Amino acid sequence: MTETQLQPSETAAPPAMGRETSFIPAIWNRATGIAGRRGFLIAFLVIGALLPLIDRNEGDIDAGANALAYAILALGLNIVVGFAGLLDLGYAAFFAIGAYAYGIFSSYQVQPEWWGFWEPFQWLGLVQHMTSPDGPGTVHFTVSFWLMLPISALIAAFFGVLFGAPTLRLKGDYLAIVTLGFGEIVPIVARNVPYLTNGAAGLNGVASPTLFGYSFGVQSLPFYYLGLALAGLLILISLRLKNSRIGRAWLAIREDEIAAEAMGVNRVKLKLLAFGIGAGFAGTTGTFYVAKLQTAAPEMFMFPVSVMLIVMIVLGGMGSVAGVVLGALILQLLQSVILQDMTQWVHAFGELTGIEFFKQLDLVQSIELIFGIILVVMMRFRRQGLVPERAAVTALTHAQQTAVPTRGAVAGGLAPLHRRPIDANKPLLEIRGLSKSFGGIKAVRDFSLDVMPGSIVGIIGPNGSGKTTFFNLITGLTKPDGGKVLLAGEDVTGLLPHVIVERGIARTFQNLRLFANMTLLENVLVGTHTRTTTGAIGAVLRPPRVRREEGAANERVLETLRIFGNRLMPRVQHLARTLSYANRRRLEIARALVSEPVLILLDEPTAGMNPTETLELTDQIQHLKDRGVTVLMIEHKLAVVNQIADKVVVLDHGEKIAEGTPKEVHSNKEVLRAYLGRSTDAVAEAAAAS
Amino acid sequence: MESWEILLQQVINGVSLGAMYALLALGFTMVYGIIELINFAHFNIFMVGSFIAMWVMQLMGFTGQSHVLYGLPLTAMLVFVLCVTMVATGVLGALIERFGLRALRGVSGTAPMITTIGLSYILFNVILLGAGADTKNYSNPMPNIRWEFGDAVLHLRELILWGVSLVLMLALHYFVRRTKMGKAMQATAQDQEAARMVGVDVDRVVIITFFIGSALAGAAGVIFGLYYNYTNFGIGYTAGLRAFTAAVLGGIGNIPGAMLGGVLIGLIESLGGQYLAVRWTDVIIFSILVLVLVFRPTGLLGRAAPTKS
Repeated sequence: MTETQLQPSETAAPPAMGRETSFIPAIWNRATGIAGRRGFLIAFLVIGALLPLIDRNEGDIDAGANALAYAILALGLNIVVGFAGLLDLGYAAFFAIGAYAYGIFSSYQVQPEWWGFWEPFQWLGLVQHMTSPDGPGTVHFTVSFWLMLPISALIAAFFGVLFGAPTLRLKGDYLAIVTLGFGEIVPIVARNVPYLTNGAAGLNGVASPTLFGYSFGVQSLPFYYLGLALAGLLILISLRLKNSRIGRAWLAIREDEIAAEAMGVNRVKLKLLAFGIGAGFAGTTGTFYVAKLQTAAPEMFMFPVSVMLIVMIVLGGMGSVAGVVLGALILQLLQSVILQDMTQWVHAFGELTGIEFFKQLDLVQSIELIFGIILVVMMRFRRQGLVPERAAVTALTHAQQTAVPTRGAVAGGLAPLHRRPIDANKPLLEIRGLSKSFGGIKAVRDFSLDVMPGSIVGIIGPNGSGKTTFFNLITGLTKPDGGKVLLAGEDVTGLLPHVIVERGIARTFQNLRLFANMTLLENVLVGTHTRTTTGAIGAVLRPPRVRREEGAANERVLETLRIFGNRLMPRVQHLARTLSYANRRRLEIARALVSEPVLILLDEPTAGMNPTETLELTDQIQHLKDRGVTVLMIEHKLAVVNQIADKVVVLDHGEKIAEGTPKEVHSNKEVLRAYLGRSTDAVAEAAAAS
Repeated sequence: MESWEILLQQVINGVSLGAMYALLALGFTMVYGIIELINFAHFNIFMVGSFIAMWVMQLMGFTGQSHVLYGLPLTAMLVFVLCVTMVATGVLGALIERFGLRALRGVSGTAPMITTIGLSYILFNVILLGAGADTKNYSNPMPNIRWEFGDAVLHLRELILWGVSLVLMLALHYFVRRTKMGKAMQATAQDQEAARMVGVDVDRVVIITFFIGSALAGAAGVIFGLYYNYTNFGIGYTAGLRAFTAAVLGGIGNIPGAMLGGVLIGLIESLGGQYLAVRWTDVIIFSILVLVLVFRPTGLLGRAAPTKS
């Protein structure tokens, strides 16, 4: 399926197809998508549960339990790297934190003196009183493994947020290096505070979990099944998060941070959430791993562990839950089975031929070299990994591709685009003396404007006259040097972009900032972010309220997409990057509209559209106004502005040089000079000549 | 030792380390300045450089402490070893750019950086598997001439290493400021598209940047070996991270900044080790990295904040 195949529907002829039928592939795809995800989880659990019955080798089961631990770690890191696009190179630090948390609270490492304070804890079974003949005795921590599983997750999540917070303003690369630094610091601290951790020698005597009086001891099988259960649980959590409001916001941040913000995503909060949840997975795994090994040493949590996890994710497929699990299992299999077997074969070959080199060769040692090669080769030739995040989408049928474009409109059934009552007699948007300079260039100078509710205001002006900067100032992407922006009388100057979306101003971008690797449906669903409330816990538990909200959001998105007739509807499961230019513009408008704005800012909405398409969109913008949405649009096509704008504002060199009805503005001498670049005499002559 | 003697000694040590970190930081900063990529392979190009110099000296018959040279022969020998090493690591860096990274240039997201991690891992493990995990002794052809200031000692060795770093940094400064290629680099760093439009061969600029940065990393590798009298496969990681911190501290993308940052990190390492504790040195350095990034992301001399995406 190539891009060109997707595009020609713009112009071609019959047979026409109804709106309803174009719906079906979307729903079908959704259904199979969910079935596919469940199918993966069930297959994973069933095969995992049966394996020890087939292979009873203790060593293999032990390797299996370790592989599951790494699969969980990779799942956690995938939330940070794969979903939110934040490269964390110090992830092993959280593994260490979870490991030491359980290690310290279940061993004899820390033994404070006994006093009354500890009595309630003893009663709860968290500590034991170690009596001593000469003195009050000491405290022995005996916190249950099962209790520590969630507590370790919380402790690690806390550190995840703590480590993540300072780096969030920075570009992604810096995040990598700072996390690398934290990843170094944690083992150093573990080594340097022997009181807590027994230093480089490592913690000893970590208690083994017990369940209903049955101690796991050093057997592998119970750990294997526990690991399987944990992995299953975390796969479920990953899948549910990914296909939720939270997951879509993460993907949006990964794809385009600025656009995500402008669509109402609070990127700081969501990045911290990704860090926290990712670290939580590692904390739980740390507890599991240490309970299994019954020891914890700083060397177990160094940089190579973090890199190995990255390799698992890259091999399996960034952002792909099934892929990441597969990548982890393949690498563990490679390390603990395949390379060892191969080494034995090579040694046997060496014995046979008497070649010393082959007798000595140890392939297991080359595992890190293999890691390096996997990283380079995958990034070069198959960046989406073995199991890509997205399955291939069914191509449009010939009928769909050649369908006559139906001209949708804002349908009567469309839910009210905005909810708050607006005073029709007061300006909806008041701009007072807005200014912004970049270095010596005054991009916007002392700009004032009133926009009445329910009107369409066109902003025209030569390139570089400050129109887009003006939009950025209103939507909070750029902070003004001076002046005020009032929305329905409320001051919104300098608020964060996502807050401004929440207040009711949505926008599109001149240069198109879609979330390229998300589907149309997901792109527009991100637009509903500020009007929905599902949090991480809701996304995982999926109570009826969340299902309803998700259903309603889908409904509203499809309703909104229908504005554009059959242009976008048949493609809702396609990736945004496969769309034609005009369709991308439409998609941006739809994405902005579902945020239920009172005011929508359109930055050159018809750029790149042919005359027919332009007319169609002009109509659709007119419909928006009829539905009560106020429109502020930058537009170069004067025909569009003349047809629908109630008021036109002309910018030149950052200053407003004219304002009025299209007619008034067109006869303004100043405008003719600045905008058309001719002297008024010449224009007068031209007018006389015609 | 009197306290001032200790201080003086640690300053001498710190400047020596700093000279090495500065050379290493230059590679990070140049590559970042041009294509906004943190090149993790740089860590181990440095390490490979120290091995190449060791092998070259072994081939020339310098092993252990047996051969001590003076005057012109010493100069000639050092210049030769430096040149061979720098050309070798420079070519290595250029090859990495051409065959490892060029295909990913302009790819957004984490892919290019992950590739450099992979490349770094490959270099690391090739040396580990090829040369073994043991620490190698470095030969030291420099005479043990020393000047004593109280109990503080300045060795000829240290003076030579300072001199080498200084000359290389001045040469780089001249190259970037005065030559046509240097100006093309500056233009590319500012705006790749615009540079391309006025006729700059951006691919060539990038590969030359990698060559120069890697050559300087090679020189830093030589300095490491001569200063500590050993090398092993693992030296790239710690030194690389410290040098990266130096680049950030000075202002990433800023060449004088990298030099300043390098010397500061060297001083922090030696003085921090003396007055606080060696085992906390890395914690101190990473804390500086985080603090700088949070409170002054432009670094000491940088202008553009590293927040643009």
